[in-house]
Amino acid sequence: MNKEQEHTFVTLLEENQNIVHKICRLYTSDADAHNDLFQEITIQLWKAYPKFRGDAKFTTWMYRVALNTAITLYRKSKKKIKTQEIEPISFKIKAEEYDDQVEQQLRLMYDAIKELNDIDKALVFLYLEDRDYKDISETLGISEVNARVKMNRIKTKLRTVLNP
Amino acid sequence: MDELDLLKQDWKRKEQELPKLSYDDIHKMIWKRSSSIVKWIFVISILEFLFWGLISFTLKDSEGMEAYNSIKDLTLMKVLTYFGNAALFVFILLFFMNYRRISTIDNAKTLMKNILRTRKTVNYYVWFNLVYFVIFSFVIIFLEMNYDEQLIQLHDEFAAKGNETMFYTVIYGMSFIFVIIFAVVIWLFYRLIYGILLKKLNKNYKELKQIEV
Repeated sequence: MNKEQEHTFVTLLEENQNIVHKICRLYTSDADAHNDLFQEITIQLWKAYPKFRGDAKFTTWMYRVALNTAITLYRKSKKKIKTQEIEPISFKIKAEEYDDQVEQQLRLMYDAIKELNDIDKALVFLYLEDRDYKDISETLGISEVNARVKMNRIKTKLRTVLNP
Repeated sequence: MDELDLLKQDWKRKEQELPKLSYDDIHKMIWKRSSSIVKWIFVISILEFLFWGLISFTLKDSEGMEAYNSIKDLTLMKVLTYFGNAALFVFILLFFMNYRRISTIDNAKTLMKNILRTRKTVNYYVWFNLVYFVIFSFVIIFLEMNYDEQLIQLHDEFAAKGNETMFYTVIYGMSFIFVIIFAVVIWLFYRLIYGILLKKLNKNYKELKQIEV
């Protein structure tokens, strides 16, 4: 690959790095692992970049490679240090933005998402990212109908957490 | 407003709290070495091919197998050897064909299927080898009984004392125990590889397949 391609790739990834960070937050539980997964996703994106054709959107393509890396290719780093564990999804919620009840609800839902298995997490992630069901089904390799059914089940599960 | 809409809203809001890497940070990362399971599978598979290739070569050439020289020119032995070499070639070819099919731009399910298929190729090769190894060992023992002079002499000594059955029991019994130990070691090794490498993949693949049921 030439310098120009390299530059284009890094620029594109820099602009869209939020997608990768969000996946890292979902699938890891400490800062080290977050960085480790981010790096692996970057490597895999770069390796797959020659196969990226301009006809698809860069972000659509990114979702797929990044999720594939998180779900399938990534092996947890051995450097994991227990004491450094931070709450991955339940980031600090600024008190002035929500009232207590909403804050509590969000926290419960984020905790529930954290407990989901890798595949369900991917579904929730794509849903939260506003991807349509056609896109979700193509990313995961399941039918659109089944993606919908599964997502509805997860939604119900999340609502149950709030109203047990 | 629905709780999930609220969640979606909050999810977007949290984007501002995400870390921000610079162009240089990302640029440095693209040349780092991957530690993905695909890479591990590739390395381990190549090591396995080397291991089994080496085993068959040392078996055939070792001095400890001097007696082997008396039977190595027999047609049956030649056929078995060619067959073993051809199998190695075919399995390596299949392995590379499957390995090349692994692509992160496939959907998750296809990617998982292709990785598992690549791994399975090596597995089949190992099981083929175990069976081949057993057959090969017994053919050698059987032929040695008829061609190796030392063994024939030993047999005659036992036979003269009326211990022929014991002679066969010891020879075949020992071979049998050896093969069993060997197979168990290989099996344990595989459990370990699978345990470490493919646990997550198998679990997620099963999960994806279940959605389609």
